[in-house]
Amino acid sequence: MKGYRKYFGKKLLWFVITFIVAVILNFVLPRLMPADPVASITGRLAGGNSDASAVAEIYERYQKEFGTDKPMIEQFILFCKNAIHGNFGLSFSQYPRSVSNIIASAIGWTIALQFPAIIVGWLLGNILGALAAYIRKGYDKVLLPIALFLGNVPAFGMAVIMLVVFGVYLKIAPLSGGYAFDMIPHLSWDFIKSVISHYQLPFWSIVIISIGGQAVGMRSMSIYELNADYVKYSRFLGIKDRKIVGYVFRNAMLPQVTGLAMSIGTMIGGALVAEIIFSYPGLGSTMYSAVTAADYPLISATTLIITVMVLVVTFLLDIIYGFIDPRVKAAQFE
Amino acid sequence: MKKRIAMLLAAAMVVSSMATAVSAEEAAGDVTLPREETLYFAGQQWGAVNSWNPIGTNQNNSMAIAAGAGWRELMFETLYMWNVMDGQLYGLLANDDYAWNDDMTALTFTLKDAAKWSDGTDITAADVIRTFDIGVEIANGTGSSYGPYIESVEGEGKTVTINAKLNDAGDPVNPLKILDFLELTPIAQAAWIDTVYERCGGDATAILNDAGDDVVWSGPYTKYFADDQKVVLVRDDNYWGQDASMWGKLPVPKYIAHTIYADNAAGEVALKAGEVDVCQQFIGNVQNLWLEDGLPISTYYEEAPYGVCLTMPTAWFNMNIPVIAENTALRKAIAIAVDYDSIIANAMTGQSPSFADVPRSLMNPTDGEQALYDHDAVADLQWTGNDVEGAKALLDEAGLMDSDGDGWREYNGEKISLNAVCPNGWSDWQASMELVAAAGQAIGVEITTLYPEADSYNAVFTDPDQTEYAIYMWSPDASTPSNPWTRVNQFMGKDYVGVTNNWSGNWGQYVNDEADALIKQIPLTTDEEELKNLYTELTKIYLTEVPSFSLMYRPSVFHAVNESVWTNFPAGDDGRNIPPADCTDGYGVAALYDLELVG
Repeated sequence: MKGYRKYFGKKLLWFVITFIVAVILNFVLPRLMPADPVASITGRLAGGNSDASAVAEIYERYQKEFGTDKPMIEQFILFCKNAIHGNFGLSFSQYPRSVSNIIASAIGWTIALQFPAIIVGWLLGNILGALAAYIRKGYDKVLLPIALFLGNVPAFGMAVIMLVVFGVYLKIAPLSGGYAFDMIPHLSWDFIKSVISHYQLPFWSIVIISIGGQAVGMRSMSIYELNADYVKYSRFLGIKDRKIVGYVFRNAMLPQVTGLAMSIGTMIGGALVAEIIFSYPGLGSTMYSAVTAADYPLISATTLIITVMVLVVTFLLDIIYGFIDPRVKAAQFE
Repeated sequence: MKKRIAMLLAAAMVVSSMATAVSAEEAAGDVTLPREETLYFAGQQWGAVNSWNPIGTNQNNSMAIAAGAGWRELMFETLYMWNVMDGQLYGLLANDDYAWNDDMTALTFTLKDAAKWSDGTDITAADVIRTFDIGVEIANGTGSSYGPYIESVEGEGKTVTINAKLNDAGDPVNPLKILDFLELTPIAQAAWIDTVYERCGGDATAILNDAGDDVVWSGPYTKYFADDQKVVLVRDDNYWGQDASMWGKLPVPKYIAHTIYADNAAGEVALKAGEVDVCQQFIGNVQNLWLEDGLPISTYYEEAPYGVCLTMPTAWFNMNIPVIAENTALRKAIAIAVDYDSIIANAMTGQSPSFADVPRSLMNPTDGEQALYDHDAVADLQWTGNDVEGAKALLDEAGLMDSDGDGWREYNGEKISLNAVCPNGWSDWQASMELVAAAGQAIGVEITTLYPEADSYNAVFTDPDQTEYAIYMWSPDASTPSNPWTRVNQFMGKDYVGVTNNWSGNWGQYVNDEADALIKQIPLTTDEEELKNLYTELTKIYLTEVPSFSLMYRPSVFHAVNESVWTNFPAGDDGRNIPPADCTDGYGVAALYDLELVG
């Protein structure tokens, strides 16, 4: 146990160091963009205003309010202080809305879209990969190549194809938004049905492209395991095939779990394309518009969420692996 | 377990969308908007609405607090409505009786007797006075736009007088800007302003940022629902304007709804699907929607240019760059070599008159502005473009030759190398910049294109000292009572030279004292003949000196309608004089009272 404590401590130390570096980068990188968002806000306000000194006054006022007139280090300290309290300041692009408010209204949609899609895509992909490895034949020759082909279609291409085919031509799915264009959110079956029907296309567009990648990984791991000595030995012992497949599947799963955890960690970035093409609400499209508008506070907050999610997931994985995978355990305890 | 998670997620999704639904429940109105009572928009609102405060600042509330071809008159109203078709002001809160005193230092008008706030109280001079005064105090859009031109607003009861600010000579600084005030300033209720002032403790920033949820309005619509996906306004059936002294009735649609689309493409798809009735978006080859796709979609005019062009996206020459500033011939050569017909045919897909139809000047293509200068006097100076030989001759004559045989011309022994810049993703502008670069290639001047992100672009082109961009695009003012003066001032006025964060005009930093002196005379000139002379002289200078060159004409708002649910939208030949202003801007709002259901 002492060894494990040391292992845990080491992991925790690295976690903290990575976190600090990530926070600094999250803060600094957007601010290195050659843009001046305060100038943009001023421009929006000053459009049609022909008095130059008045425009300059507006600019200075916003510089002061956003603190962009202060040195970077001072801005950073303020950012950290406020971030601890969950206050990421005011958004530049949706001013005077606060960043926390924007994220709060978007994050539910992203999680509800991405989480089930990742799980379903992962399950389908792994089942397909395992079947392809075990049954071969039709699965390996037809289904897997199709899944691979679909998996390699760029995400935006898949989303646009689905939109055009199912939305525009077949008219069996709505075109955009999270619920019907003629509805106001309220609690009723009609509204829930509308939410679900709007959910279909973005959901499947994510699932379909994730199946291929998962399947190919699972297939090669399974083939490797199927040829392992323990499988041959088990067969000699006359253990039932179903039981052996169970072992094989579990052993092949290990790296796949890492893949699953990582895709959950990066779900916000993954949601981007589906959200934009289907005008679906969520953090992905929020982040995209923040980047194009050089909205530093919003970029920093969304990337911080991604960073924290990835860090937490990898940290947990490291810890769990230490327990469940004897090989990792052995390597780390040396 | 999986099932339970799925249920949980579905619940989370519904709850997250419900969280913002409070306002609709409060209103206790429809939860599904009846299609035949709702007019749907696209192309105005691009993010969740952040404020309903008409004296605030930087609102992104495009349906309620914005201006396009005039002020958007749905929720907050102006004193007068601007009609871009005839260049006239039409009384809204005020009667049609505005009048200047003899030396144009004061303008007086009366407010309509029927004009009332949503809380039933009268709209009086006190409201107009407070709207202006608070604007100056907290430096909002009204204050910073009109504070330099208006000394004070006075009045009692229903009579209002606006006193002009005077210059050293005792003349009003600019009476034209006072007319802009009449049609671009939403009047807010004095009592409500006091409430906001009190709760913000008089702090300017707090007042500007106040969300205005308790706002009092005067217009025919008010807020109904807003979240990340849409904004809905509902008709106020107590609207004062149903009085015979105004419209005599209520606007037809009960709801005005705007879905927030991710981009133009999504809005266009929705328009085609009939989910949008009025679309304020540029649609390439818009005529194909009815000619080829057979959709019930139309524009103001059935033939090109389909809409009413009010502004002209322009390429500005950077006078901080010596080779540009010192060579008028170079500027003119580039300008006359550009293939404008190709820009109009490809980038604008014909939605702009050509420079043969409407010869270039300082004016937009409307009849009113075109009548303001002597066409014959400047005919020799105008160009329609694609004149490569003429451009080469100009450069040869100016001694800008290719002496080292590399195919590019030199100035002072150095190759002339310029860039042509506009924001990335602004596809029609990018296509224009490509054609400017092609013109350079044809005449032996190296011009490379550069498309930075809009934000970087904004930071550079508004910097008066920048030398990064040589030729870059921006649009001057479109149509207000102070135009074309404001636009001419933007083209050649000296006021903007050297100003930091210059969003106002003269983005090339061009200095011409003679032009500036003429520009300064215009606001105080009332004699029509004299006015025409001044504009003609300025046009001559502009076309000779070429400090910038317009690439196309363009509407200030696009206006395409789908008539599958609603019909009787304004059209160019219907004799109603309602502008194609999306049924919302300036006098364009009159369209809402004439709409009819199909069938």
